[in-house]
Amino acid sequence: MQGYVLAGLVLGSIYAISALGLVLTYSSSRVINFAHGATAYTVAVFFHWLNQVQGWSIPASAAISLLVFSPLLGLALWGILFRHLTHSPPDVRFLATVGLWVALPAGVQLAFPFSQGQILQPQGFATVPVAIYHLSALGVSVNANQVAVLIGGAVVVVGLSALLRATPVGLATRATVDSPRTAAISGINTTMVTAGSWMVGTALAGLAGILLAPILGLSNGEFTLLLVASFAAAVVGRLTSLPLTFLGAMAIGLIQGIAVDFLPSHGVLSTGFRPSVPFIVMLGCLLLYPGLRRERFEVDRRAGARAREVAPPPPLRGWRAAIGPLAVAVALFSVPLWLSTFWVGVVSQGAALAILFLTFTIVTGEGGMLSLCQATLAGIGALTTASLATHSPLFGWLVPNPFSSATGWPIGLAVLAGALVAVPIGLLVASLSLRLGDVYLALATLAFALLIEQLVFARPEFDNFGAGISLGRPIFLGINFNDTSTFFLLLAAIFCVLAVLTVNLRRATTGLVLASMRSSEQAAATIGVRIVRSKLLTFGVSSFIAGLGGALFAITIGRASPDSFEVLIGIVWLAIVASFGTRSVLAALIAGLLFAVVPQLFSEHLPTSWAMVPTLLFGLGAIRLAVNPRGSLFDIQHSVRVLRLRRARRSPTFEGQAPA
Amino acid sequence: MSDPLLHAHEIAVSFGGVGALAGVDLTVPARSIVGLVGPNGAGKTTLFGVLSGLLSPRSGRVELAGADVTRASPQRRARLGLARTFQRLELFDELTVRDHLVVARRIRERRDRSLLRDLVGLGRRPSPGEDEAVDALLDLLDLGKFANQPVPLVPLGTGRIVELARALATEPRVVLLDEPTSGLDVHETERVATALRAARADRGVAFVLVEHDVELVLQLCDDITVLDFGRVIAHGPPDEIRASADVQAAYLGTAPAQKTPR
Ligand SMILES: Nc1ncnc2c1ncn2[C@@H]1O[C@H](COP(=O)(O)OP(=O)(O)O)[C@@H](O)[C@H]1O
Ligand SMILES: [Mg+2]
Repeated sequence: MQGYVLAGLVLGSIYAISALGLVLTYSSSRVINFAHGATAYTVAVFFHWLNQVQGWSIPASAAISLLVFSPLLGLALWGILFRHLTHSPPDVRFLATVGLWVALPAGVQLAFPFSQGQILQPQGFATVPVAIYHLSALGVSVNANQVAVLIGGAVVVVGLSALLRATPVGLATRATVDSPRTAAISGINTTMVTAGSWMVGTALAGLAGILLAPILGLSNGEFTLLLVASFAAAVVGRLTSLPLTFLGAMAIGLIQGIAVDFLPSHGVLSTGFRPSVPFIVMLGCLLLYPGLRRERFEVDRRAGARAREVAPPPPLRGWRAAIGPLAVAVALFSVPLWLSTFWVGVVSQGAALAILFLTFTIVTGEGGMLSLCQATLAGIGALTTASLATHSPLFGWLVPNPFSSATGWPIGLAVLAGALVAVPIGLLVASLSLRLGDVYLALATLAFALLIEQLVFARPEFDNFGAGISLGRPIFLGINFNDTSTFFLLLAAIFCVLAVLTVNLRRATTGLVLASMRSSEQAAATIGVRIVRSKLLTFGVSSFIAGLGGALFAITIGRASPDSFEVLIGIVWLAIVASFGTRSVLAALIAGLLFAVVPQLFSEHLPTSWAMVPTLLFGLGAIRLAVNPRGSLFDIQHSVRVLRLRRARRSPTFEGQAPA
Repeated sequence: MSDPLLHAHEIAVSFGGVGALAGVDLTVPARSIVGLVGPNGAGKTTLFGVLSGLLSPRSGRVELAGADVTRASPQRRARLGLARTFQRLELFDELTVRDHLVVARRIRERRDRSLLRDLVGLGRRPSPGEDEAVDALLDLLDLGKFANQPVPLVPLGTGRIVELARALATEPRVVLLDEPTSGLDVHETERVATALRAARADRGVAFVLVEHDVELVLQLCDDITVLDFGRVIAHGPPDEIRASADVQAAYLGTAPAQKTPR
């Protein structure tokens, strides 16, 4: 028992260090850093590189990593990105930090190639072999890495409270956190304070990363767990209270540690329970904190006004408006004519992903909601479809097969069922956190995605030792879709239908209602928009499309495997869609095709060490939203229209818009 | 007189322990224009928040059209005929001026519930009578030349008028106006006053008017409530208010008919 308590305290301390950094940066700049775990990973890799590759001593490596590298990294990220985000709309704030979360690890793995493979024994603060001390009075053994964590946690807590309570810097920081404007008026250099908080926050993330590496391993995936636990602790502290955040972190760590004592020693529960603790804690806070509820109409307020932007010239009307979409459709459907079968296969994956990516177009582009569980919903769709189609068990039960064949459901019907199953699950997650506003939805969906990944996707019947469940292709209406080109045409047709439906929705009353909600929930509510209902409806539709896209993607690659739908893949998807624009169906198509084609091109023509370059580019694309909030496609269309308008203005027949 | 259309009884609100409203009453009979005046920070906007359902009061009761709506959502109050404008503009930045009125009208008609119709592409068509009604409202408020402009491009003063137009497009029975003429020029202010009178005469709309232009308030309103530090310090017809010494001291005397530039 004591051993488990100790393990819990150790985990809790690491979470606390990381979560305090998160809260510090959030309070000073109102930006939730979804790349916080990625920052921790970056510093941990840098430390490992100094110590193991460069051969520096542990104290020297630690000092350089934490006192020089981390603050500089924090300062650079603040200067390049976070500084611009404070006054951005909520979706841009979110998407840009997600972009960083994608780009940073990719950049690290390019810069430090050793981190691409598995790092078997990451270096911590303790020298190897790690010393073990037996504390007979308490009846536990503690190793030197654990001691380092406990000391690190104590130093951070004491140091941070001393800094904030007793120094002029602390006073300035607290004043800035309370009210940046008042602080600025009273002569505090709020820019310096904010920059400083990012430097300290990054150093805390780095410290947590170095401490975590020898315990959990040094991989980008494991650091997602750290990120989510820190988020949950921060939610306990309502994203602003340092003491409550600390307590939350310790509680999460202790529950995770002690629970091991009570859980079965193997099976999914033993590995899956730990990641579910942050989700449960977060959920409890979301449901129990009355303060969070009351803030529902103030969330945007606090974050600063939505940037007023120059509106685009009016869109084309009549037959001219049809030219672009028709050209795209013709190009898409003619792909089998000018590409080899192999490349048609690759492009098919892209088309399936494009269908899946429409889920982002709907949930984020139209609904204005920030969700990180769309990939998980896609996975649920895919795995349900595969289980039904192959007649394999779901959670140990065989789903009754009303169709005579012994093999399973007809695949078309299984796809539909998969898409439908995703809907109630998506609605459940959304309904729990929607009322609380953008940020909490993003946090809750992330925690949920991780929970499903560890608790459900890891089950042997789905994971199947990494092989997933294999899936055949449909034959219906007398057409055999086993042929690559035929199947591609089917996918292209489905995409086109969904794209048209999406555009219809946007241009209809629903689109107007959603646009009004995106701009001002208060005003929308007072003209009678039922906000929660509209958002749930949108989330439901997006869940359906996610499930459908996931199932179709699985059919395209021939197997439904949880690996295809990991949280970390989901964020890359989101980043690439966002970088082209969440408001455009064409962006979803381009993003889908590029996501499939670019890595294939890289792997054929470039050395393997370049494998992370596409991911880096996708992440950077999303980061660019900070300066270019509507995505690059919008930018291009906008420039074209402005050019056209200028040309028209020069011609004498132009009637012109009313001057503003 | 029958039940008032909108009635607030003993409303109290506090923000983090600091009282913003204490025991405020407000009564709005049908077809009336009620003035709500008081210095900045008196609690006028806060009272509008309570009336429209965006804020919950610590205590007190709000009745709308005979129903107790103290706990009702903003949406339900909108359906019962309450609309409002915002002091700090809350426009839909991605929509044109015209679409502000269209969306408000369509929600009134429950067209936001026709998802299937929208999906197949029929949702773009205007409802019967929609074009005429929207055009009439645009004319009434002289917004015609901005109709197809996205709102970020219209001047701030015009934005205020768009807020009023959007509120009227919901076909309300009572509209709460939060400083509708601040930032407007004399001509635009006159336009708003005319529109209020017309809406009352033609459609029987009642208004609650928060306004710093004291002459306008005295001239338009049937009844005036004066707030100061979250309390009602005077209440009565315009003549009485004009004469009241308390009001002079708290408000009128200090800043006569001055428009606060925003
Ligand atoms: N969201 C809020 N949080 C804290 N205090 C507020 C909030 N809204 C208003 N107040 C305070 O309540 C008081 C009344 O404000 P308000 O209703 O805006 O006054 P008015 O509209 O009459 O100028 C002011 O002292 C203001 O500072
Ligand atoms: Mg006010």
